[in-house]
This record gives sequence, structure tokens and C-alpha cells, in this order.
Amino acid sequence: MSVAAIGADAHGGVDQLYVETRELRLQGFLLFLVSDCVLFSSFIFAYLYLRNSGQGWPPPGIQRLDVAFAAWNSVVLFGSGATMHYALENFKHGKFIKYMWFLLATIVLGAGFLGGQAFEYNHLIFGEHVTWWGSGIFGASFFTLTGMHGLHVFFGVCYLTVLVLQSAAGVYTRGKYFGITAGTLYWHFVDVIWVVLFSIFYLL
Amino acid sequence: MNAQLIERLGAVIGGIAVAVVAFYALYKDWQVTGVENQVFKLMLALLGLGAVLALLAGLNVIGFAPSKGAY
Repeated sequence: MSVAAIGADAHGGVDQLYVETRELRLQGFLLFLVSDCVLFSSFIFAYLYLRNSGQGWPPPGIQRLDVAFAAWNSVVLFGSGATMHYALENFKHGKFIKYMWFLLATIVLGAGFLGGQAFEYNHLIFGEHVTWWGSGIFGASFFTLTGMHGLHVFFGVCYLTVLVLQSAAGVYTRGKYFGITAGTLYWHFVDVIWVVLFSIFYLL
Repeated sequence: MNAQLIERLGAVIGGIAVAVVAFYALYKDWQVTGVENQVFKLMLALLGLGAVLALLAGLNVIGFAPSKGAY
């Protein structure tokens, strides 16, 4: 099935304003992602600097993080990136039911990742007494970075839920679906940030 | 089966599945042009890399694992 013309609405017409502003919206959204990238980068480099300026890592009294659970939870998030990609592809090709299923799968996997993170926080705070406020640089940087990422995932899940409702209400057509493209870009961005966080906290 | 083994199995199987899907999608979209598609390609490549890292961590090739399992 072919991809519809940009700006084509549900009634067979073309939304001229959408056609003229789509590129600007895309550039604006990409700039937003770049600014978010700068935000994460500043925290990541601060963490790496502090980590390498101390004597040994992790600090005495704190166990290294277990990679098995984190790897499993990471795969859950990365899987949601794959389902989101196919949600967009199916929408572009007019397969609305498949699109909805992939989008719902993405929401479920994103929520699953948040549940996994909550489980890990619970274990660290109550099981190992590693806290944001009481475990020095390690606790502060770990909870700040992963918490900030978790907040992004939470907002992403909310965004995707709005997309489901909007899609069910027929807001998007095969020619006008920038909201879905932006959602996919955002979700991939959240995945990519986790690749970095997973590497620096669990693998290095 | 203990919990850590199940987590590692999940990471390995899921890592293979996600890596295959991400790299296949990248291969399929390789010729596609346009700003958003270039960004998608970059992100699919990084997603595939993340899946491979999770797979290797699941196989205990990289990363640290306490002998008893932390969780």
C-alpha cells in the first residue's frame, strides 16, 4: 500500500498550513531533543568526571550494581523501541489495527520498564540502604540520572496514551501524522539515552 | 531455576530479538532519505547496539555479576 500525500486529510482535501509548517515542526522537535541531549550529557559527564576523580569505584561500603536484572529491564525498554518503530511503519501504510496493537505494546513495555526501575529502587533503598541523599556521589548521580530518565519514560508513556486516544478519535490521517512521528522520535531518544546510562552504570 | 538465570535468559533472548528487528529495520530503511528518516536510522543503529550490549551482559561477557545474585 502506498504512503498518502503529506497534508492529506480524512475528507480528501489537503491541509495547506500543515504542509507548510511540517518541516518547521520537525526541526523544532529535533531541537527539543538536542536540548534534552545536552541536559543528559551534562549530568553524564559530571558523573564520569566524579567517578574518575575518586579512589576506586564504587565507593567503599557500596556494592556494584547487578547487571542481570538491568539487562533484562533494558531489553524490555529496547523492545518497546522496536514496537514503536513498527507502530509508525504500520500507520504510514494504512494498517490501523496493527498500528494500535504495536502502540499499546509500546505503552505496556514502557510501563513494564518503569515497574522494573521501581523494583530496583526499592531493593537499593530498602535492601542495601543506597539512597540519593546518603550515599555520596554514587547515590546522587545514579538516582539523579536514572530518575531523570525514568521521568522521561513516564512522560513518554503519557504521550503515547494520548496518541492512542487521539488515534481512536481519528485525529491522524495517513497524510497528517506528525504527532505520531514526534512520539516515535521521542521514544527512540529515550531508548538511546538508556543505552548510555546502562553502559556507564552497569557495564563500566 | 533461580531468578538471575531467568533474567539472563530473558536478556539473551530479548536482546537477540530486538537486535535482529532493529538491524533489519535499519537495513530496510537504508535507502530512505529525509531528515527524520536519517534520525530514525541513527536511533535504530543505537537501539541495535543497546540490544547487543544487553545480550552480552546477559551472557556474562560484559558487566559485573555478584556470585549469589544481588536481587
